[in-house]
Amino acid sequence: MVGNTAEAEDLTQEAFLQLFRKIATFRGESAFSTWLHRLAVNVVLMKLRKKSGTETSLDEMTEPDEESGGPRRDFGTPDLRLSGSIDRVNLQRAVEQLPPGYKAVFVLHDVQGYEHNEIAEIMECSIGNSKSQLHKARMRLRELLHEAVRDKAREDRKAASAEAGSED
Amino acid sequence: MATITCKDFMDRLDSWMGGNPPGDAEAHLRNCSNCRSLIEDLKAICTEASSWRTEEVEVSPRIWTSLRSHLEQEGLIHENRPAESKTTWFAGWLAALPRPALAGAYLTLLIAAAFALSRPMNKQSNQALWLADSRDSTLPLRAQLIAEQDSFASFNNANPVVTASLNKNLAIVDNYIALCEKSVQEEPQNEVARDYLYEAYQQKADLLAQMTERGENNR
Repeated sequence: MVGNTAEAEDLTQEAFLQLFRKIATFRGESAFSTWLHRLAVNVVLMKLRKKSGTETSLDEMTEPDEESGGPRRDFGTPDLRLSGSIDRVNLQRAVEQLPPGYKAVFVLHDVQGYEHNEIAEIMECSIGNSKSQLHKARMRLRELLHEAVRDKAREDRKAASAEAGSED
Repeated sequence: MATITCKDFMDRLDSWMGGNPPGDAEAHLRNCSNCRSLIEDLKAICTEASSWRTEEVEVSPRIWTSLRSHLEQEGLIHENRPAESKTTWFAGWLAALPRPALAGAYLTLLIAAAFALSRPMNKQSNQALWLADSRDSTLPLRAQLIAEQDSFASFNNANPVVTASLNKNLAIVDNYIALCEKSVQEEPQNEVARDYLYEAYQQKADLLAQMTERGENNR
């Protein structure tokens, strides 16, 4: 979720510290694994929130506005197909650019394989909210991947024209 | 079959994504290359993401060392934990000790305490009732442990080094019990805290059983 091994390890340590500090608050109302996962996700979200430098609500973390490049509900202009261009590196870069809330739901569902009811419990939101955030996360990823493909095509064109110019 | 617009398709997408599209959406997909491309892209993203799932990341040992150090600094764990002390006891003495005679009595007490501590929770009960309940359950065991500790002190002076070591271990277990009692007092309805307290008493009972046995052997 943080895209950096050292940072992930620090967060692992922080999550276990929180576990020891808060174990007395576990009331057995949910499975221990869910409680622990919620605690770990909260640690990561707090970190991501601090990184972004602003205090934001979960909604703000998952519902970026138009100016910040939130998901648009456009359904045309497939000028470039993604098929074949989605690889680990591209997708990881795109995931890193997702708002924290989207990232958390995407990683929990599509990477770790949790179901929406489990995510809803972990993230303390509704199942519908989890589904909706996942959909928006995927759509945003698609946009980011398209942008990456466009940038790459632009760079290739520039390189090709520079090469043609030098040959003249 | 009636077809739908791209906007309708998008509006309903998150409700069936990951499953089979409804009939009208399927019909739309056959006729709309843009939406078909969208679905292919989303599927490709999911496929790539799910391939990351199989990777298990090994956490660096430094994390556990650092975590332990933090926990010790905060007083959440102690360097000489009771469990380790018990291991030392067993390593040094177990072979020489006959089966402790008092173990049966302690075990009976502990089982009674365990039953009392782990009774099903009643959500209607308030905090004061839980606290009183916890006290009632553990007081007899606590009193018994104190009495046994006093009687041990009266006859176990044969080896000052061993006695000092025993007392040190007892102090550690007592410290652990105090922490657990505090947790139960703060969260009387918390089953985990009650389990920890039970475990702490059990550790003290084990320790006292061995100390008593050793003391009797030295007489």
